Amino acid sequence: MKSRLRENLRAYGFLAPALLLLGVFVVYPIVGTIIISLETQSGLGLGNYLEVLSEKSPSKALVIPGNLGGPPPWGALVHNMVWILVHVPLTTFLGLMLAYMLIHVYGRSLVKSIVFLSMIIPMVVGGLIIRFIFDSQVGVIPRIFDTLGVESLARTWTAYPETSLASLILGSVWLWLGFSLTIHSAAVDSVPRSLIEAARIDGASEWQIFRRVIAPAVWPATLTVMVMTLLWDLKIFDIVYAATQGGPGGSSTVLAYVMWLYFARALDYGRAAATAVILTILTLAAASYMIRRSLRG
Amino acid sequence: MSLDQRIGTIVLVVAVIALILGAMGYMQASKIASIEDRISALEERIKALEERAQAPGTTTTVTETRTERAVETVVETETVVRERVRLTVIGPWSGDEAKYFQAVLDEYMRRNPGVEIKYVTMRAEDLATSLPLQFAAGTSPADVVITPWAWWIVEMAKNGYVEDVTGLVNKDEYVAGTVDAVVWDGKVWGAPFTMWLKPGFWYKKSFFQANGLEEPGSMDEFMALLDKIKGIPGVKNPIVTGDSVGWPISDVTEHFIIAVGGPDLQLKLINGETSFTDPEVRTVFEQYLVPLIRDGYFSEPIEWTQAVTLWWNEEYALYFMGTWITGMVDNPDDLGFFPLPGAKGVVGGADYIFVPKTAPNKEEALKLLEFLATEGQAIHVSQPAGKIPTWTKVPASELWGPMQTVYSKVVELNLQILPDLDDSVGGDWQTLFWDQLKLLWVNPDSLDQVLATLTQEFPGG
Repeated sequence: MKSRLRENLRAYGFLAPALLLLGVFVVYPIVGTIIISLETQSGLGLGNYLEVLSEKSPSKALVIPGNLGGPPPWGALVHNMVWILVHVPLTTFLGLMLAYMLIHVYGRSLVKSIVFLSMIIPMVVGGLIIRFIFDSQVGVIPRIFDTLGVESLARTWTAYPETSLASLILGSVWLWLGFSLTIHSAAVDSVPRSLIEAARIDGASEWQIFRRVIAPAVWPATLTVMVMTLLWDLKIFDIVYAATQGGPGGSSTVLAYVMWLYFARALDYGRAAATAVILTILTLAAASYMIRRSLRG
Repeated sequence: MSLDQRIGTIVLVVAVIALILGAMGYMQASKIASIEDRISALEERIKALEERAQAPGTTTTVTETRTERAVETVVETETVVRERVRLTVIGPWSGDEAKYFQAVLDEYMRRNPGVEIKYVTMRAEDLATSLPLQFAAGTSPADVVITPWAWWIVEMAKNGYVEDVTGLVNKDEYVAGTVDAVVWDGKVWGAPFTMWLKPGFWYKKSFFQANGLEEPGSMDEFMALLDKIKGIPGVKNPIVTGDSVGWPISDVTEHFIIAVGGPDLQLKLINGETSFTDPEVRTVFEQYLVPLIRDGYFSEPIEWTQAVTLWWNEEYALYFMGTWITGMVDNPDDLGFFPLPGAKGVVGGADYIFVPKTAPNKEEALKLLEFLATEGQAIHVSQPAGKIPTWTKVPASELWGPMQTVYSKVVELNLQILPDLDDSVGGDWQTLFWDQLKLLWVNPDSLDQVLATLTQEFPGG
């Protein structure tokens, strides 16, 4: 009994430095943020949460029900959801496709490095690049549409409510594709070549090999990419801040940007903390669901 | 040896010993005298060093160690010059603008050899994000902070983060109203630095001359001018719209409000006495701005520094901008400007200096603040920074050449200098104002919604 106690004490002794660091730098700020979010003029309560959830200003509203049928703004939370719905499948699929296609390409390391470059760019710089990519004066995308004669898309995408959110989402695909490609490349490389050859001998087309052999074999890697991308999308801030400032007319605002508005512009720390807590709950819920699913196999 | 011989020998020995002792005593006395001379010489040096130590900007510690023994005296002096005072100043300027401000700091360092100043660039938006946390933690990254957001300084003062400078700023010596922006609870929390003006539409004199264009004298002439410009080959739109976080669009909007509704309307909007849905304000938008936007007189929003280049390359003819544009073009002598016909005022805004309560070198920081708010302004306005002083003791002759022309025109037209609407209101409403106007510029049909939003979200509204 005594030796077990001693063993436990020793284990806690080894854990103590890590627990201390976690306590000071993770647990304490989280608890502090929750307390601040509950502080109102009349004492502790849910006032800040109610105000954040019922906010109507287009730049800070989480949902704008009246606009949902038309172009943005739809509210920060809806924008985050749209971001996830478009960005997660697109980035995951493109990363996997590229990883598979690059097996057959000579000099694939160079191509991978080029794609991965977007990952090492600071996100704020990435936001500025997005702004210029979609600029009617110097941007590639509007020029392409100008050549194609599509006038409505041959303008500065970030300046119009109809296209600002789309420009950010597409830009984030470019920025995050390197991550998806790298993870998938490692997974695809580990798929036995004999499996692919066997499928080919059996008469499977390249698409069938991709769909029936490669995709199932690399599923754990795909799941990792999806979880990480989803978390990244929920926390997205930098590129919104640098490229559109959530505008025009709140058409590209997101949860983290709303939190920043409360914090840095309104100097309203209670509502900023409440938004942060909402964001954390959403992130935790999404992450725990995905992780539980992946653990189940 | 006889007794006499013995006595004689003893006397001789005693005499020799006495002589030796006498000689030794003489030598010792001379040595002491020479050491005493050295001591007094060193004492004079020490005194001189101590006097130097009293000089401004230099701190000298003098240590004297004196050891005296029977035969030697050691005098050591050690002079330690303490590290110079190092101040950090945070301001909003970068690139050339930072260079012009550096000239002011250089002059201060020249006058105060014991002070070294490091300048760090930080936009007001970034300051607002990071500084409150540092202040709350009892620290400050700078001794002196400069920001155009007077409202933010007041907010920081309310939290007890700012040093009271009431005794350093004589309100009567500044352009009317500038100090008021940083007054709270009867105390002054910051000092005005130099100020910019947003006097109207800038144009290239050579372009106007080449195309036979003239400054308009009435609103009809203004419209005729825009139509004429529209017809010039190579010109994309008559007026280029600067884009950034949103302020260039709000600037031109405010100019229309002042020109059409008068200076009072601007002041009423600032004070919340008039709403954006008020018919008078609506007229400005409905009859002037929206038709101009809808009919393509304004360009689509273009990143504002990029817009300077495009406008200077004559892709656009007019650009509404602040006086800092004088320092951004190749030939400021080719620059002309005109306010909207009928305008009785122009927006002007100062940058404000404050000292955080947690500044590492508060005393020196306050001295620097005092300098920047007074004599420092004379140096800044003499640079191509496009600024005018808020300290009225700086004569107009100190202004940089092209700014003298601008300033004299503002005086000649008797234009009242008014506070900036969004800078005065501040907070997240400022961001909303910028964002809603950006929306209006690309979707003029959203006018009703924009005006309603600005009214609903106005602080206290």
